[in-house]
Amino acid sequence: MSTILELENINYSYIDGGYERKILKDLSWKFEEGTFYTILGPSGSGKTTLLSIISGLDTANSGNIYFKGTDIKEIGLGKYRRNKISIVFQQYNLIPYLTAVENVLVAMSETDNDIPSDKKEVAYNLLEHFGIVRTKADRRVGQLSGGEQQRVSIARALSSNVDLIFADEPTGNLDTATENEIIEVFKELAHKFGKTIIVVTHSNNVSAMSDHRVILKDGILQAIE
Amino acid sequence: MNFINRAIKNVSRSLTKSILLTLTFFLIGNLVIVGLGVSQASKSAKTLTRQKMRAVVNYEINYNEVYQYMDTIEDEDEYNNFKFPRITIEDVNEILMDERVKTANALSNNQFYVAEGGIDYVHLNNQQEENMAEQMQNCEQNNWCYEEPNFFVKANYFPDMIEFADGQYYIVDGRFYTQEEIDNDAYVVLISEQLAEQNGVRVGDRITVNTFSSTDYNQEEIDLSDVDPSMDLEVIGIYGGVKSITPDAQNFDWASPYENPVNMLLMPATTIENKMASFYEKIYAHYQELYPEEDWSYERESYISDVVLLLNDPLEVDAFVEDYTPNLRQFMKLNANNEEFNKLSKPLDTLSLYANFIVWLVVINAIVIITLVTALTLKTREYEIGVLLSIGATKLKVIAQFFVELALIAILGFTLSVGTGSLIAGKVGETVLEYQIQSSDVNEGEDDYYWDYDSIWDSDYSTEISLEDLTSEYSVQVSLPIIAEIYVMGLGIVLLAVIIPSFMIMRYNPKKILMNQG
Repeated sequence: MSTILELENINYSYIDGGYERKILKDLSWKFEEGTFYTILGPSGSGKTTLLSIISGLDTANSGNIYFKGTDIKEIGLGKYRRNKISIVFQQYNLIPYLTAVENVLVAMSETDNDIPSDKKEVAYNLLEHFGIVRTKADRRVGQLSGGEQQRVSIARALSSNVDLIFADEPTGNLDTATENEIIEVFKELAHKFGKTIIVVTHSNNVSAMSDHRVILKDGILQAIE
Repeated sequence: MNFINRAIKNVSRSLTKSILLTLTFFLIGNLVIVGLGVSQASKSAKTLTRQKMRAVVNYEINYNEVYQYMDTIEDEDEYNNFKFPRITIEDVNEILMDERVKTANALSNNQFYVAEGGIDYVHLNNQQEENMAEQMQNCEQNNWCYEEPNFFVKANYFPDMIEFADGQYYIVDGRFYTQEEIDNDAYVVLISEQLAEQNGVRVGDRITVNTFSSTDYNQEEIDLSDVDPSMDLEVIGIYGGVKSITPDAQNFDWASPYENPVNMLLMPATTIENKMASFYEKIYAHYQELYPEEDWSYERESYISDVVLLLNDPLEVDAFVEDYTPNLRQFMKLNANNEEFNKLSKPLDTLSLYANFIVWLVVINAIVIITLVTALTLKTREYEIGVLLSIGATKLKVIAQFFVELALIAILGFTLSVGTGSLIAGKVGETVLEYQIQSSDVNEGEDDYYWDYDSIWDSDYSTEISLEDLTSEYSVQVSLPIIAEIYVMGLGIVLLAVIIPSFMIMRYNPKKILMNQG
């Protein structure tokens, strides 16, 4: 397996009450293709910050991030987010005045990746694959349950045909049954479709089912055997 | 689901917000239409009135400037030897080269008399004629004699006249005199159709008139017996367009024959110069005898007091004056005869000024209001901006989406305001104009015409206009350019209103934007 994402000496700190608070300290790590990772850590350890930095939503103070060997700054953070990665948020981050299928179509229309021309049909199929039937797909997202919204969010993440998917506490608002369903989806994506899934979570249930568990402690990542 | 689709979905699915914003644009649109419509109507009324006016510009001596200059001369000799400026044919020829100039009148006015065996004038048979006939009969008894002229002569230095160029006079038969005839002092003349008919004269016939009267200078006892007053002229043209004074005209009884427009002869100014040379030589010789210490030698000279230029387009008058004024010789000026027009246009100018002020006020307020409304709206959509940026949408596309949303609403609001705005503009414009006319000190010039018939002396070629002429042209119409202006202005405001708050939000990275929302 080859490396899809490599972190090299990532440092991140911010000033809090006049003191510098270091979150990430010379953090380096490699993520392999077709693997389901979970990043664990206590609250405030910087998991979400790390995810923001590696997904191009924020920038580190120093260090480099390579996507398939190319520095993401060279790719351009906007282009990186548009064409190389997708993010599943804890709060789903769907656009409220659009329907489920329209939310998926937004991502498909923004990416420069190869997408089949019958985008709407593909979006419906994707949603259906995650249990959102057509009648529900045409509803505005506010009319769907939390679990359904998260599935829409995952469908949107997959719709842009990227190899790397990040998820920030994707099951944080869901019940255990739905959580299990989502984990199964991630496993399927990694093992069947060769995607790399990096999930930030503090759920032991989620981490137990991942291929690799990594803990963020004292600003660095450590593998959990 | 590109940004345009997203914009349409947002507008159609957030109906309350869209209706309120449409109403805002509708109100702004109405105010801008009122301002622009009223301003445009004022400008159009001025333009239309100006177009109706004769496009004349006077090239004349600036007497004020001359006298001011003379006041500064301290040396007495220099003062006495100061040569009063004169208009030359060369000056005018240079201006005539300009393609905006149609023709020019550089007229020399003269009065001629009936010659023995020559043509007779068209009689008025009024009190004045009776009085003059009686006076001529009692010349010796009164020890004083004055023979009243019978013909008025308008002689031009150019082979055309404004009156012909703008159709006031027209050739009935024959032609106007040529430049060659002017250069050669040709003895040619154009007479009115009434004069021709009365005397049975046709084109090609010759007529005789006297250039001065035997009674001229009789007080000074100048012997003019050896100077032939008669002038034998070939009739090259018969013209129409002049009317005889009718008995019902005011002061008809006191009108002299030469004042009757039908007794007007048109001929080259150089011909008169040539003929009058022998007359003036005699007069000057007499004065030389009387005042031998002074030089009274006569030299033929063209004397042009002022030149009236007729331009092709009345709207070019101001630009023409502006173009030529800096290059004029010292003490010369171009007069666009705009004083009356400018005075009467004052209420319209004031109206236009207020209207423009309203437009600017509304536009500035609109920018502030729409920017604030947009800023507040975008604040509630910070989350959406964060989401769009996190999935890789460019900032430009995000701005474009908000622009399309607001532009759709603005276009709807402005389109609705076109109908109501034009109605309001019409009413507002008329009311304010009426108030302006009532409250301003614009008074129409008193009619200074003593005679109510065409005056042969009238050298003022500018068109008389009244306040009514101007206000009758005032009509508020919301034209296509105004509508286009509103849309352009409106979309400009929308763009500004979207860009400013968008950048305020998007200066942060997507994580910060999403966290702010959170």
